[in-house]
Amino acid sequence: MKVPRQRNGTTPQMVGRYPDYDVLSQTTHWDEVTRRVVLDRVENVPPIRFFTDAEAETLSAFCDVATAQDDEPRIPVLAYVDEKLYLGRRDGWHYHDVPDDDEVWRRVARGLDDEARAKSFGSFAAAPYEEQHGIVHRFSRAELHGGVWDTLNVSRAFTVVMRYVVQAFYSHPWAWNEIGFGGPAYPRGYGAFGSPHLGERESWEGEEAIHDDPVLLTEQEGWE
Amino acid sequence: MRKGSLLMPADNDSPFLLHPHRRGLQNLDRMARYRDEDVVDLVVVGAGAGGGVLAQRLARKGWRVAVLEKGPLWDPDRDWVSDEKGSGDLYWTEKRIVSGSDPIEMGKNNSGIGVGGGMTHFAGYVPRLHPSDFEVRTRDRVGADWPISYLDLKESFERIERELPVAGEYWPWGDPHGYPHGPHPVAGAAAVAWQGARNYGIEMRVGPVAITNGVFGNRPHCIYRGFCLEGCKVNAKASPLITHVPDAIEHGCEIRPGCMVTRVELDDGGRAAGVVYVQDGVERFQRAEAVAVCGYAIETPRLLLNSACARHPHGLGNDADVVGRYVMVQGASQTAARFPQMLRMYKAPPPEISSEQFYETDEARGFARGFSIQTISPLPIGWAEHVLAEGHWGPSLRAYMRDYNHWTVLGMLGELLPLPENRVTLADEQDANGMPIAHFNYSLCENDKALIAYGKRILAEIWDGADAQDTLTIDRYAHLVGGARMGFSPDDSVVDATHRVWGIDNLFVVDGSVLPTQGAANPALAIMALADRCAGLLADKRL
Repeated sequence: MKVPRQRNGTTPQMVGRYPDYDVLSQTTHWDEVTRRVVLDRVENVPPIRFFTDAEAETLSAFCDVATAQDDEPRIPVLAYVDEKLYLGRRDGWHYHDVPDDDEVWRRVARGLDDEARAKSFGSFAAAPYEEQHGIVHRFSRAELHGGVWDTLNVSRAFTVVMRYVVQAFYSHPWAWNEIGFGGPAYPRGYGAFGSPHLGERESWEGEEAIHDDPVLLTEQEGWE
Repeated sequence: MRKGSLLMPADNDSPFLLHPHRRGLQNLDRMARYRDEDVVDLVVVGAGAGGGVLAQRLARKGWRVAVLEKGPLWDPDRDWVSDEKGSGDLYWTEKRIVSGSDPIEMGKNNSGIGVGGGMTHFAGYVPRLHPSDFEVRTRDRVGADWPISYLDLKESFERIERELPVAGEYWPWGDPHGYPHGPHPVAGAAAVAWQGARNYGIEMRVGPVAITNGVFGNRPHCIYRGFCLEGCKVNAKASPLITHVPDAIEHGCEIRPGCMVTRVELDDGGRAAGVVYVQDGVERFQRAEAVAVCGYAIETPRLLLNSACARHPHGLGNDADVVGRYVMVQGASQTAARFPQMLRMYKAPPPEISSEQFYETDEARGFARGFSIQTISPLPIGWAEHVLAEGHWGPSLRAYMRDYNHWTVLGMLGELLPLPENRVTLADEQDANGMPIAHFNYSLCENDKALIAYGKRILAEIWDGADAQDTLTIDRYAHLVGGARMGFSPDDSVVDATHRVWGIDNLFVVDGSVLPTQGAANPALAIMALADRCAGLLADKRL
């Protein structure tokens, strides 16, 4: 698999399907309130306030594995997870068979470290990437047992933490560059959305450099 | 001179009371302010689809109405953003416990807060119920019959459609009808679904959506930016905040945001005397001649149950143990499909085209009732949740996400049946106001499972007909209705055919919780139509 190098703007790991597209070049077209909210994600990364240093180290590594961030630049996923938990924000529902979201996160941190230590690594963060990936793989399939995992519905816990992870990752403009999303669209709106004359691309939107089908790719690479 | 066509609503000036460039309400400086010791004619709990319409109609009739709303009175310019994650304040996110074999995701999925209710972030689909929906028990031996018929609501549907206004093609299903505004243009992503449906012999139509597609007072035209579920900053998509509240305020209604109602109090004679509410941490009491609970399928049962008193030890309207029962969601499985060409589904409104060809019962299918098919266009976080639900994370999550612009999504909206054990109860845990939080238990029955499985097969066939390269299907549930259902007697229901709680003649429930069954239609229009009808019955009467 070869994803092109980003030439314009930033993407996570500087890979992108739209190498010349930078959504942040469009900020003058956004309304002020939206602009502030989106730019804050890039310019004002919140400090870690909810997790302990040790938890943050473990979970930061987890978030990177879960989003395949193996190199700089990285979207600081955990910073946004931490902010949401610190501010007491929730998504509005709580499964009866798992603890509250903040406790799920803390137990997951403990569980991930326990798994790494069982293989004689100092912590999850200290384990090599392949080991980390293997642990997350088993987490995703609810194949982790014993210790703290027995206090959780593991499958449910994975969906809870991954919900936070994808919210943080795919709300970041660097991720929008990678996937070719147009970003905020008020007050400009769209004119080119599929008419025979205007097509589907506004002049400022990105053009694809590759056309990989992820279904075939996932099969070829043995991903999950 | 009357501006606009003859279809412009004659008795609702909301579109003219808005400002053509500023989105927030313009008449707040003229709004009435009632004191707690004033005995208002009606206190409405919740400013959503039900409460918003009811308040506007009765204010027009001269009632002194106070609407207590838990959330804010939004100014879309100031409070809303054109961003997915930044729109979290639109959802009711306080803790609710979910359980059962199919626990339901709440929050952004189905729960609104603030003036406008869930309609501030609904997609915009506003189909009517079909005539058959009102007699499901008689026709199909499942669910329940309504104590009213389609004809009782028909004029209300028409009035509300003019006020939103609804844009769409002539509608051939149910009771065939046209719409005040014509169909919006179809985006490329929806066009491939349409082609697939055609190839498979399925009829689809554009709409019906509550999104302006022409001149409508001071409401701007849609700009096709695709953020319908994040609150319409344009004021093109309807919610009571802009369709009914401006006119309500103009006619003496007070909208009091930031007020959580925790109890309905009865007087010594057993009639509603007013409501206890918490504002800025202070408990207060608003006196009223009548109370309308419009809190939707979770909060309405929660409030009725929490209002238990010596006369009604199990909660108001709950002498027969029906409050909180028969809560329904719709089977809303989605199948995404990949195409070689770019589709960029984030553009244009997510609700574009739909079909009700499978709406009615067909015994050959092996289950009762049916489903609709609708386009849906998730933004990146929504799409990531879709990919995640398929089991992808890490490198494959990134690869599927990079491919976002090649995918488009169809959803089914299946009528699931009302079951007594699908219910809202009070948990032991309390919120910051000391009010027990809601516990919502939900499990599918066999008919539901067969219906969903069939619907997913049809979605797959459509994508096959469109020559999709790959598909991804996830199971999910949408909307909420029931929990305080309307019925024929105090033994089978919470309210009568006039929305009056059995046994308490000045207490009403006017929201989606009264629906005995739900059809395969998105519920917003039906809720508004019920509120319109209820207000018409009350009209000049005072209680």
